[in-house]
Amino acid sequence: MTSSFPGAAEPAAGADGHPGADLLAGYAAGTVDQVVAWSVEAHLIGCARCRSALSAHVDAERLARNRSVLLARAAIGDGGQVRRVLCRCGVPDYVPGLLAATPSLRRSWLLSVLGVLAMVAGEAAAVGIGWMPARGSAGVPGHPDLEVLAPFLLVAPLLVLAGVAAAFLPMFDPACRLAVAAPFPGFTLLLVRSVSALAATLVPAAATAFFLPGPGWLPVALLLPSLALCAFALAAATVVDPRTAAVMAGALWVLPVLWLATDRVPLLIVQRNSQFTCAAVLCACAVVLLTRRDRFDLGRMR
Amino acid sequence: MTLNVSTTAVRADGLSRRYGATRALNEVDLTLERGITGLLGPNGAGKTTALSILATVSEPDAGRLSVFGLDPRDAAERVEIRRRLGYLPQDLGYHRHFTAAGFLDYVAILKEITGRRRRAEEVARVLAATGLEGRARTRIRALSGGMRQRLGIAQALLGRPELLVLDEPTAGLDPEQRLRFRELLSGLPGDPVIVLSTHQADDIAAICPKVIVLLQGQVSFAGTPADLAATASGRVWTAGDRDTRAHLSWRGGDNRWRHIGDQPPAGAELVTPTVEDGYLVLSHTAGAR
Repeated sequence: MTSSFPGAAEPAAGADGHPGADLLAGYAAGTVDQVVAWSVEAHLIGCARCRSALSAHVDAERLARNRSVLLARAAIGDGGQVRRVLCRCGVPDYVPGLLAATPSLRRSWLLSVLGVLAMVAGEAAAVGIGWMPARGSAGVPGHPDLEVLAPFLLVAPLLVLAGVAAAFLPMFDPACRLAVAAPFPGFTLLLVRSVSALAATLVPAAATAFFLPGPGWLPVALLLPSLALCAFALAAATVVDPRTAAVMAGALWVLPVLWLATDRVPLLIVQRNSQFTCAAVLCACAVVLLTRRDRFDLGRMR
Repeated sequence: MTLNVSTTAVRADGLSRRYGATRALNEVDLTLERGITGLLGPNGAGKTTALSILATVSEPDAGRLSVFGLDPRDAAERVEIRRRLGYLPQDLGYHRHFTAAGFLDYVAILKEITGRRRRAEEVARVLAATGLEGRARTRIRALSGGMRQRLGIAQALLGRPELLVLDEPTAGLDPEQRLRFRELLSGLPGDPVIVLSTHQADDIAAICPKVIVLLQGQVSFAGTPADLAATASGRVWTAGDRDTRAHLSWRGGDNRWRHIGDQPPAGAELVTPTVEDGYLVLSHTAGAR
């Protein structure tokens, strides 16, 4: 058998064609180059004597350490399909790990959101499909049943707000003191969690809107009010207690929607003037957030 | 009172902190050097407040803090302190749906250990150090109180911090686990600065070369455990009966009464004071003021 282990600078194979002790030691220590390592491996597959000889060169401590690391990796998990998709989209692979501590991204929360959306949109959808008769007419010409949209218009942006609030309120993060004492930027953590929670709730809310009677632009019209409410809650949290900020944001939505609903024109809350107002609020809150972002790094929002 | 040493890593001058009408810290000066420093004091003495300020989680109302020469009031320097910090809060909460390894992985990301391989190595290392290797896949809700406490210690060790701030790390640990914890701290490489608060005077005596006693928001003592024990020198006796004149009396395991007071009871035997005796003398003196 001829030697299959090239490379003059590498430890040589033995005269009998088996890898010598130096070569096995180098292979076990990981110091031989890749081509030589492949050759050794090819030989080891068919040679029980060399496999046995190799075990004498293995560093038991290093082996145990590698085993512990492998077990830890298995216990941590790879984050599943979601992590792989996010990584393919260019998201750093540690970001899904940060999101694991966000309650509004957990399955139970998202199922609750879907349940609430199904309930509030149920009647309106049934009317739209024709399973139920319309109860009246008001609002935008050409859309006679729009008052049935009131529960959905009331609840959908509030669900988005609740998801974002759960992502940033300290009361929902039992380990928040660790996050404060850690070097990872608090504002970045806040944004990562809030944007993820916002997307996770806004997408099903907008999708639900497709099944409702009313104008075709309704799913898109939910975007600005939802963003503005969340931005307001975050910005207000740098000035007042975070819980108060979330409640204030909710009230800013609930009161006008109820008022318009009693006038049987609930759709006005997502029409042009409201969209302009929401855009202005969003811009103002973005400025406040950027200028006061250090509050989140200090672990105190106000 | 200030413990002055040449290798000061942490220095606090005049730290004060109020919670409403309660003064938690009152112009506290202290210095910490590399090695283990124990913080003793009764509930409400200001230990947790002092440690949370050291960990940059709270800010003092007044006073200055310097950690490795860095000022936590400056945003960039605060981040640098946090990069070198391991912190175990007293009331650490857990995401109960996490596994032990998943929780450590999460904290490792917060500590900017972003490479997957390096995170797994760190998680494996601290799990082994705290004896939790076999619990890596166990959900936190299924862990006992002692195991959760060890998990809290494990997360503080992630990243091999130079400054370890541990608020009551031995709470909930059984005697064997406390021994392992002492071994773990004593054997940490790199000679980090470790400050731990505890109610267990024997923990202090066993592993802390330095001890600071906080009473009513002020440093009442700073020195070695032997010096603390010496503050009770000549004031601790054992006797067969209770002495009503003693400041403190309790019956020991040998069925004899141990007295701390200014006058010896009849037939009493003067004994060598322990760290706990010294601490009790200090707290009694402070309480009498």
